[in-house]
Amino acid sequence: MSDSDETPYSERPDWKDITPIPLPCGDVVQIMYSDRFKDVYSYMAAIMQKKEYSLRAFELTTDAIDLNAANYTVWHYRREILRNMNISLDQEVEFADAVIKDQPKNYQVWHHRRCLIEMTGDPSKELDLTATTLGKDAKNYHAWDHRQWVVSQYNLWEGELEFVEKLLQEDLRNNSAWNHRYFVVTNTTGWDKEVIERELEYTRAYINKAPNNESPWNYATGMIKGNGHSMVDFKSFVEMCEDLYSRQIRSPFGLKVLAEIREEREDYEKAIDIYMVLKETPTVRDRYWDYKVQCIRELMTC
Amino acid sequence: MATQTAEADNMTQEESIQKDPAIPKVLLKEKHVRFFKQMLNMLPSMYEKLDSSRLTVLYFSLSALDLLGALDDLSEDRKKQIIEWIYSLQVKVDGSGDYKRCGFYATDSLPDTLEQNYGHIAMTYVALCSLVILGDDLSRVDKESIVLGLKHLQLESGAFQCIAFGSESDARFVYCASCISHLLKDWRGVDKDRATNFLLRAQSYEGGFAQNIGREAQGGSTYCSVAALVLMDTLDRVPDRRRLVDWCIARQQLGFNGRPNKLQDTCYSFWLGASLTLLEARELINKDANFSFLMTTQDQYMGGFAKWEGYLPDVLHSYFGIAGMFVISGEVPLHPALNISMRAYTHWQKNAVV
Repeated sequence: MSDSDETPYSERPDWKDITPIPLPCGDVVQIMYSDRFKDVYSYMAAIMQKKEYSLRAFELTTDAIDLNAANYTVWHYRREILRNMNISLDQEVEFADAVIKDQPKNYQVWHHRRCLIEMTGDPSKELDLTATTLGKDAKNYHAWDHRQWVVSQYNLWEGELEFVEKLLQEDLRNNSAWNHRYFVVTNTTGWDKEVIERELEYTRAYINKAPNNESPWNYATGMIKGNGHSMVDFKSFVEMCEDLYSRQIRSPFGLKVLAEIREEREDYEKAIDIYMVLKETPTVRDRYWDYKVQCIRELMTC
Repeated sequence: MATQTAEADNMTQEESIQKDPAIPKVLLKEKHVRFFKQMLNMLPSMYEKLDSSRLTVLYFSLSALDLLGALDDLSEDRKKQIIEWIYSLQVKVDGSGDYKRCGFYATDSLPDTLEQNYGHIAMTYVALCSLVILGDDLSRVDKESIVLGLKHLQLESGAFQCIAFGSESDARFVYCASCISHLLKDWRGVDKDRATNFLLRAQSYEGGFAQNIGREAQGGSTYCSVAALVLMDTLDRVPDRRRLVDWCIARQQLGFNGRPNKLQDTCYSFWLGASLTLLEARELINKDANFSFLMTTQDQYMGGFAKWEGYLPDVLHSYFGIAGMFVISGEVPLHPALNISMRAYTHWQKNAVV
């Protein structure tokens, strides 16, 4: 990142006018700062004390960020310099690219990126940036957060469903991609019954490919219940659950949904049967299945 | 298409952990105490990148020692010294009535005389917890400034940012604001209605809570949201609590993962264990399975816990390994929303001057 001058600031003639403020050295959670860290931050403190907004101050923040990219005070000071001076924002966007590439889970650089886009008003690189980041880690929460922000802020919905499809082809267990799909539908067509039917059809294909995948089950039940419906309102979805069961497919997610469908129908004994199937081999969730059975028995006595 | 479910695979895995003689099956308390005592004193230079969250390292270490019953290994002088250091990180108000800088900062690497040194909401939260753990009565906390300072951090949406010059805003900081308000017994800095509405809108279709509206439900944000709602006393406004509990329970593999189809990770034992405790569903957790998993991430040589088996321990996962174990087993009582021992909390109830 910082490939320029490696000379300590304390030895640079063009910094002679600045008196560095040394870092304290105590003995509570005391970090044994390296010489470079002490040098850079003692000058950073002095510059901030002076409130100097200059090119050299800007370059100093680059070094400070290189040493600790989580220092939100330094990032903010850097933005103040950007606002006060005529520094190229294009270059700054590239700088943010580099830090994101190196530290894709750092909160401060993603916030900085968002600030930059708000300053330039140009979101044209953001879909590529997030797609590249997701290419290395398809579930990076920051990348998805930034993508969702850009898409909703600048109305870039077109192509998002295709983007999700591409990611699900690569990994149908990518829960983040499923979540993004929900987000896109919510903010475009919304969830009328026709859309739900279409999305259930889409989901069914993925469930049949890998019934033991939690994500599409959450997606399906989420769109149904989240929009005020019951599962029994959707015949082909119910048929799929019954069909998987009759074919001896024992997905715990599918079985739980089937039990809930039967509970919706007030077919309480049949719902309990399913929980018993779930308990046939010991699992980590045995206590939970027992609790579900208990809840149903309570319903039966009402 | 497997007829034996992945659930059954988990139990096979648990058996093999139980049978493996190379994995200790007890919490190595002495080793962990040594690990955290080291953190309290000196950290090697690779921790430079954690300089901006140094106060959280302090909090993790103090709270861990407290939970492990080793807090009194620290002399009274040492405790006083630590308290003084914490207070040295409190923003001194200049009498201008401008409270937006207020709270505590993370570190003294930038001097407190710097105007640009603002209080950070998470550092304020961990500073208060640390003081409470050490038995301080909070009389030197500038409560008025902190509470009024919180107002500058709450946005139109109801979410909080962490620092007044601007930052990302999400459930984490609503949580911090709630803890601060609770410990200072003063909610003037939080519009509870707006904060609650924000959190509820961030409950995803899955039933868990995301960091923000439309984002993916995740274990950490679920904890922050549930704990904040409990502290604000608005948990009953969650529309589908059953679905929330279901989602949390589904996170248990042996230990817990943070999102569907992700790997289990030490710290989620706390995030989900505490969430389920707050939701009064702790008894549904398989305690033995969680313990078995934590035994694989416990570092039997260095002490502490790593996020995954075979990785090096770090202070965050070490703390949450211990807190996660105790919040689920109940062996050491822990306040599930504030994340401090009940011993510390009881002391605060009796002694805090706020």
